[in-house]
Amino acid sequence: MAKGVLVDLTQCIGCRSCQVACKQWNNLPAVRTSFSGTRDNPLTLSKVTWTKVEHKFLTTKGTKLKFVKRQCMHCLDPACVAACFMGVLKKSPEGPVIVVSDTCIGCYYCQVACPFDVPQYEWIRGKARVRKCRLCFDPGEEYDRLGQNKEPACVKACTTGALKFGDRDALLEEAKRRIGADAKYVNYVYGEKDEGGTSWLYIANVPFAELGFPTAAKGASLFHAFHKAKTG
Amino acid sequence: MTNHFIDYKNSDVIMMIGSNSAECHPMAMRWIERGRQTRGTKLIVVDPRFTKSAAGADIYAPLRPGTDIAFLLGMMNYAIENGLYQKEYVVNYTNASYLVSPDFKLEDGLFSGFTKSADGKVSYSTATWNYQKDGDAIKKDPTLENPNCVFQVLKRHVARYDISTVSKITGTPESVYRQACETFCSSGKPDKAGNVLYAMGITQHTYGSQNVRAIAMLQLLLGNIGIAGGGVNAQRGESNVQGSTDMAMLFHLLPGYLGMVDATKHTKLQDYIDKETPKTSFWSNTPKFFVSQLKAWFGAKATKANDYCFNWLPKLDGVDHSHVAIYQDMAAGKIKGMFAWGQNPLVGGPTVDAERKATENLNWLVVADVFETETAAFWKRPGANPANIKTEVFLLPAAFSYEKEGTVTNSGRWVQYRWKAVDPPGDAKSDLWIADRLFKAIRKKYEAGGKFPDPILNMVWNYDHAGEDEPDISKVALELNGYTVADGKALSTFGVLKDDGSTACGCWIYAGYWAVDPELKVVACKRRSRVDKSGLGLYPKWSFAWPVNRRIVYNRCAADPAGKPWDSSRALVSWDGAKWVNNDVADFNAAVSPDKTATGPFIMVPEGQGRLFGAAYGIRAGALKEGPVPEHYEPVESPVTNLASRQQNNPMVLRRKGAFDKVAATASPEFPYVLTTFRLIEHYQSGAVTRNSPWLVELMPEVFVEMSQTLAAQLKVKTGDTVEVSTARGQVKCKACVTPGISSLVINGRKVEIVGMPWHWGYQGLGSGESANVLTVSIGDANTQIPEYKACVCNIRKA
Repeated sequence: MAKGVLVDLTQCIGCRSCQVACKQWNNLPAVRTSFSGTRDNPLTLSKVTWTKVEHKFLTTKGTKLKFVKRQCMHCLDPACVAACFMGVLKKSPEGPVIVVSDTCIGCYYCQVACPFDVPQYEWIRGKARVRKCRLCFDPGEEYDRLGQNKEPACVKACTTGALKFGDRDALLEEAKRRIGADAKYVNYVYGEKDEGGTSWLYIANVPFAELGFPTAAKGASLFHAFHKAKTG
Repeated sequence: MTNHFIDYKNSDVIMMIGSNSAECHPMAMRWIERGRQTRGTKLIVVDPRFTKSAAGADIYAPLRPGTDIAFLLGMMNYAIENGLYQKEYVVNYTNASYLVSPDFKLEDGLFSGFTKSADGKVSYSTATWNYQKDGDAIKKDPTLENPNCVFQVLKRHVARYDISTVSKITGTPESVYRQACETFCSSGKPDKAGNVLYAMGITQHTYGSQNVRAIAMLQLLLGNIGIAGGGVNAQRGESNVQGSTDMAMLFHLLPGYLGMVDATKHTKLQDYIDKETPKTSFWSNTPKFFVSQLKAWFGAKATKANDYCFNWLPKLDGVDHSHVAIYQDMAAGKIKGMFAWGQNPLVGGPTVDAERKATENLNWLVVADVFETETAAFWKRPGANPANIKTEVFLLPAAFSYEKEGTVTNSGRWVQYRWKAVDPPGDAKSDLWIADRLFKAIRKKYEAGGKFPDPILNMVWNYDHAGEDEPDISKVALELNGYTVADGKALSTFGVLKDDGSTACGCWIYAGYWAVDPELKVVACKRRSRVDKSGLGLYPKWSFAWPVNRRIVYNRCAADPAGKPWDSSRALVSWDGAKWVNNDVADFNAAVSPDKTATGPFIMVPEGQGRLFGAAYGIRAGALKEGPVPEHYEPVESPVTNLASRQQNNPMVLRRKGAFDKVAATASPEFPYVLTTFRLIEHYQSGAVTRNSPWLVELMPEVFVEMSQTLAAQLKVKTGDTVEVSTARGQVKCKACVTPGISSLVINGRKVEIVGMPWHWGYQGLGSGESANVLTVSIGDANTQIPEYKACVCNIRKA
C-alpha cells in the first residue's frame, strides 16, 4: 500500500521541528544564512535542506499567518521520473520517489519538470547527485525509516499532530472526513488530483492559491501524462 | 500552575495573555489543539504582536505592552455588569462576602494609607486594607449587598474600567475587546471551564505581581480555579525552572516556599516559628516543615537543645538581594566573587551593558556551563580592554541536560525523572559532581580553620557513590523527599512530618516523590503508567506531581458546596452521599462530609477562601506592596500619561542607582516608540546552547527588530535593512523585520507604534549579535523586583 502524509495546515504552529528533524535524521549540514527579511531561513529548498516551513502572512481579509511545510510531494505520476532518461529516479510501490542509481549526468530535466521546484543537485568532482526528500525511505541503508515501518522523521517530530503518516488512501478519506466535519476548512484536498495526485495531501482553512501552491497544472503536467503513458 | 499542560484539553475557552506558547511552550499547543478537536475549545490571544500563537487564535486582541491590568479589570467589570460571574462559587469559595474597613479607599490612583515624607520616601500603612472584625471573627455579608463587602468594593473598583476606557488605555479596538470579554466570560457558567495561560509578558512589569493577581481574581469571579480545564497557569521559562524555584533559587525563600530566615526578625528558632506560622491554613504546619528541613541539613547535630542548629543558617540582612541589586552592589565594588551556574546574565540581565561593566569589579568569576558564554567571556567583549580587567575567570565545563540524570519539574509541578542518554564529553561533569567536589574542597579548607566553620564542618554531606566518580543522586533525592530519622525510610507524604526532630525532609512539598510505588515498584517520579481512568488526562501514575501527587490544586472547588461536581463530565471530586469519590488527590479533608469543607477550599491562605481582595490579614497576608487590588499604572517608561489616574507609575517601585536607573521622561519626543522584548522558538533563553547549534543558527541567524509597515514607511526602512534601536540606556544595531505581524495602536486617540526585539543574542557563539537587553530597564516589580523587560520606549533610525 502506498504511503503518504496528511498535512493539516490548521494545526501547524510553525515550530519548524520538522525542518530540524529532517536535517538531524538525514545528517544534512547547516548552511550559513543571514537574516532574510522574514522568519524564513533558508529561503529555499536546497541539496542540504529537504524540507522547510514557510511563514505566510495573508492580509487581504484581516491579518492571518499561515505556516506551510514544503518538501518533495512524491507525486503519483512523477514528472521528474518521466523526465529522467538515465533512470536515476524511481517511483517506488511504497510511495516515495527515490534515487535508485548513480548514473545522474546533471541534465536538470527533473528540476525543470518538477512543478514544486524540488529536485536539487549536489556536485562532487563533476559528478551530479539529485538530493531531495525521500520520505525517509532508504531501503537497506542507514537513513531508512519507512522500510522499517517507522514514520518519517518530520512526522515523528511534529508537536501538534499537524502531520499524519499512513496509507495514502486512508489519509485521503481522513482528510475528507475532517473537511466534512468542520466548516472552517476549504473544501479541497490539495494533492488528491493536483499535478496528477501526490503522496502528500494538504487541507487548510484558506484557499491554496493564497498559500503559494501551484493550482493550475503547469507545462509539467505533460510529464505527468508522459509518465502515466510510460508506466501504464 | 494550578493545573497542568495536558489539562488544557479540558478547557472550553483559553486566554493566552503575556505568553506566546506556540514559540515558547510549543507542547502546550498540542493540548490546546486536542481541546479544539474534541470540544471546540476557543483560543483568545492577547499580545502586542500578532504571534505564532495568534496565528491559531479564534480571537486576537492586540494591546499596548504594560496595560494588562486595565485589560483584566475591564473583563471583571464586564463579568459583573452582565451577571456572567459564577455567583455560588464567588459567595462560597471567595472572600467576596467579607466586610472591608469602611475607611479603605482609592483616591486618584493611591490607596488609603499612603504617605510621602519630606525627603520623598513613600510608604503605605495597611491599616485600612483589612477586614472588619467581630472579636476574632471576620464580619461577612453573604448577600454581597453591604457596600463595604469585598464584592461591592471590587465592583466599584472595576467599574472605572469600562470598555471605552480600557480601549483608550490598551489600544485594543473596542469591538475586539468586547468580543474577548464575551467569549472568556462565557466560562463563568458552572459547567464551563476557562483557562488563563501566562508567562513573562505578565510578570516582567513594575506591577507584575498585580498582573498575576488580576488573573487570579478574574478566574475566581468566573469560578475557574480548582476545576479541570481552568486555572491560573504560569508557563515557566525553562524545563526545570519550576524545580529550581521549588528548591529556593530566589533569595527570599527556603526550599518549599518557606520564608527565608532574616536576621532582622529571627534571632532564634522560636522567633521564626512565631513570626512565620499563620494560625490557620495549611501553613500552620510551618514548624514541622522547617524543623524537618533543619534535620535534613544538619542531621544528628540538630537537636531540640540547640534549636536544631537554627543559628547555623545564613540569614538575610533586611536588604534587597535580587538580581539587579546584586549587580548594583557589584558596580559599587561590594561584591568580590560570583558563580554564574547554568545562567548567562550578561545576555539575560536588564540594562546589560551596565552589568557587563559591573562584572569588571569582580576579583573572581566562576562560570559552569556547556559553552564559553558571554558571561564567561565578558573580559574580551567588544569594546573591553582585557589588559584593564583583573578578574580571574574559571570556566567549568558542565554536562548538558541529557548527559546526566535527575528530576526535572515541569510547569504543571510534575517531577519527572530523566535518565542519562549519553556521557558528557571530555572533562564535562554534572552539576551535582561540581557541587559535591566544590563543597568538599571548601570543607577541607575550613578544617584548617576559618570564620564560623560549624555549619560547613557539620552539614550532612554523604552523597558518595562507592566505586563511582559521580555522586549518588538517589541519596540527594531521599534527603529532599524526607525520611524518618530512626530508620532512614522514605516518607510517603508530608502529612507525617514532625517538629520534634524525628523526621528529616529537605523540601516538604517533594515528600513522596522518592517513595516506592507499591504497585509499580519504582519511586514515584520514575513512574510511567499511561492509565488515565478519568479520561481527564490526570495520569496519576505518570511521575509525581507535588504536592502529594495532586494534579489540580484547590480541587474542592470542582464541586459545589454540597459536593456535587459543577460539571459531571469534568469531575475531579464528588460526594456520593456517604463518601467522597475522587479522580484526583483531594485538596481538602476527604474524610469529612462536604459541609465541613464548603467554605474553606483555599487551604493555603489564612482566610481559607480565595482572595478577591488581598487584605493585610494575618501571616502570609494577601496584601501586595502597592495595594490590596490591582490598579492600572503606566510602565516606568511610557509614551502616554496615565488615563486611569494622575499617579503615573506604581508608587511603590524601588528606584535604582546610576546606570541602573536611567529612564526616559513620559511621552519623551526623543524616544517615541514602545519597545517590547520576546523569544523565538529557534533559540532558547540567552542562546548559550542554541546559538552554538548550527541547525538552529541556520534557522534564525541574526537579531532583528520587528516593526509595522507604517513605521517602516515613515523611517524609509525596508525589511532586512540595518537599523539602530536606542533607549535611554544604550543602542544596538540589528536588522529590520518589517512585518504585518505588528501594528500601531490608537492610544487615547493618538497612534503609537510598537516594536519588538528577540533577546537571545550576544557577542559569543556561532551565531552572535547585539543584545536587546542593552536597551531594557532595570527597575522592577515592587514585590519581586523582576525587571520591566517587557515595556520601555525607544527610537529607531536607519543605520
